[in-house]
Amino acid sequence: MSESDKAAEEVARLGRRPFLKSLLWGGAAVAAVAGGSFAWLRRSGVDDEPVPDWVRHLHANEYHLMRRLIPALLPVAGTNLTPPEQVPVLRNIDHMMGLLNTTVRKDLAKGLVLMDNAAVVSGWHGKRLVDLEPEAARAYFDTWTRGNRIQRALQGVVKQFIYTSYWREPATWPPVDYDGPVTEEWGLEYLGNAPLPEADQEQSA
Amino acid sequence: MRNVNVPRDGVPVTQAKDVAADPSLGKKFRLRADVVIVGSGGGGSVAAYELAKAGLDVLVLESGRYYPSSRFTEHLGDSMQLIWRDQAGQVNTSADVVFAEGQCMGGSTVIGGCVMQHPPDWVFQRWVDNHGLADLAPEKLAPYFNQVGQEQQVHVNESHEINACAHKVIQGCERMGFSWQPVTRNVKRCALTGHCLAGCPSDRKMSALVTHLPWASAYGARMFADTQVTQVRTRSGRATGVDAVVMDPDSGSEVARMAVDAEVVVVAGGAIQTPMLLQRSQISDPSGQLGKNLAVQPFTQALAEFPEDLHAFRGALVGVQVDEFFDTDGYFFYSGLAEPEQMLAQGYLGAGQDHIDFMKKYKRMAALNAFSIDEGNGEVQWEGDAVNGSKKIKWNPGRSEFENVKRTAALAARIFFSAGASRVYLPTYQHLAVDSVFDLDQTLDQVDYGLNGMYTFRMNSFSAQGTCRMGLDKYAAVVDPDGECHETKGLFVADGSLFPEPMPAPPQWTVQVVAKHIANRILERRDGLFIQGNSA
Repeated sequence: MSESDKAAEEVARLGRRPFLKSLLWGGAAVAAVAGGSFAWLRRSGVDDEPVPDWVRHLHANEYHLMRRLIPALLPVAGTNLTPPEQVPVLRNIDHMMGLLNTTVRKDLAKGLVLMDNAAVVSGWHGKRLVDLEPEAARAYFDTWTRGNRIQRALQGVVKQFIYTSYWREPATWPPVDYDGPVTEEWGLEYLGNAPLPEADQEQSA
Repeated sequence: MRNVNVPRDGVPVTQAKDVAADPSLGKKFRLRADVVIVGSGGGGSVAAYELAKAGLDVLVLESGRYYPSSRFTEHLGDSMQLIWRDQAGQVNTSADVVFAEGQCMGGSTVIGGCVMQHPPDWVFQRWVDNHGLADLAPEKLAPYFNQVGQEQQVHVNESHEINACAHKVIQGCERMGFSWQPVTRNVKRCALTGHCLAGCPSDRKMSALVTHLPWASAYGARMFADTQVTQVRTRSGRATGVDAVVMDPDSGSEVARMAVDAEVVVVAGGAIQTPMLLQRSQISDPSGQLGKNLAVQPFTQALAEFPEDLHAFRGALVGVQVDEFFDTDGYFFYSGLAEPEQMLAQGYLGAGQDHIDFMKKYKRMAALNAFSIDEGNGEVQWEGDAVNGSKKIKWNPGRSEFENVKRTAALAARIFFSAGASRVYLPTYQHLAVDSVFDLDQTLDQVDYGLNGMYTFRMNSFSAQGTCRMGLDKYAAVVDPDGECHETKGLFVADGSLFPEPMPAPPQWTVQVVAKHIANRILERRDGLFIQGNSA
């Protein structure tokens, strides 16, 4: 079964999934599904690109989508912020994906397929999200921020994955003055377990 | 006279790796105890301490891992992945409300913000009047509160524990004429690192990990981590023990199956996990209330940007509370801005340049966490078989609850504008920020209730309660005034699930007090409960 066929099957089954069942209630969601059907004919140039060996939990389409979205969502050029390519954002996303329970992971996979494909008609971009230029990708996110609850949820999840995977890295903290761990640096005394309450101490003395 | 020695640090805990390495245990083993306690958080640890101190043979089973404070990294991401339940991703069925909970030895006491609040007396008077809980009258609980307060080194924040974030809240309250006060916390010689939510590596936070668990251990209590209790066993209306699975915490694979024979079972897994265990165990519940009445104490976080640098993430995490609306509306507010990841989990998520601009202002931000009391209409359900089933947390705000959340967010924003904020980022799934107090109401009006209030405000719950409510009437409550299930002798609940009504205060102190009361009741009734006798 091709990737396109898999996507088609997944989209067709969405209505039975609890997480996304309400998707079919919203007009924008209908557009998203329609976008999905267009996209089966609309392959991306990145579809055939290889995925690094270290990727364990991201599906190939998810890897490419996240890779393209990172610079769009974290445009640090011209600032003192740490460039995202200097921290392992994608590795962190891959790790986080591996922590999700099976049900949520499956639902998220479907959601990401939708979000990617819906760009074909949502906003009339005519391309999948993975192929949008950074400016258009950001506009797409802004549109989904104002969309129905499922769109709001999906765009929020993607942002959280990318932003959390970036900001969890200590290299990103100095530019925003965040100190990070301080106990060792400050030489704080380790207090250990609290002694027994006084009443007990008297009893056991 | 007993020789009782508390270890200098750490707790002797048997972990999955120990079970795997012990050939005498094999893939199935059986243990015997007088009392088996399920859960090692605020309730379970206090019960373990009290019962072990009285000479009972106590066994504590915790589903989470043992993560001693020496391993804490002061990095919220690490803690969330290792010791927060579901990696901080425990959510309701519509996946828009986060239920934060510790899943480790010590439970939520390890990851909490150290806030200890003694609820007002009228809360407990209502428990007496409405639910027949005479033993929980305010005057009867007062000695317990004192005792736990001393054990937990609860104190009112001193001036050095009020950081820049808290000062902005104070400033706003003073200008609005709102009442505020320093928070009471369970910290010993706070080092002001601001890393409470990631766990305190120098053991200043008086979590169960450094208080009741090592104390219980000193009195002989045995403890297992990585051990998921699948069901409570019963026979002829009496609890007889539990079945559990020891799981490798990293791979999730089964290491061994454990059966525990015990005449008393105390379930203290918190208001989400406890009812699901009782449901899995098909405990008789004539009230039909098991898993129902879930109150979540929803909270949101308003972030404010100020013209000057604050570095509000430095210092004690929680400094002051706003108590102006506590008695009248059940609203309460705590100052507190944690590390960037926490802010991203709760706050404003712009795209691209918007996000970059937002984060560059991190050092100029302050946060106010706005809590409201809900009506307790949620429900927790376990679906499927004991091992492979799944949980369902059903809670979305009703219209009045939604309005309360909106009002608390508005009040938090007003406090910050009064303190001189130049912008307030609203805690909404829509992307809303306000630059003037005069635009606040109009902007908040863009957030409408919609369908069940879903994906409106970014709500979180740190304080689920009420799902095994306590009461005299077995047709209205799950457990009796002793905390014992009405129709299952020897099966007790000792956590926030037994609160009979939603409570407008952080629950840890009350949970510990109620657990102490229940442990005392078990001891007072020991002749009837331990019919096979025990060594004490």
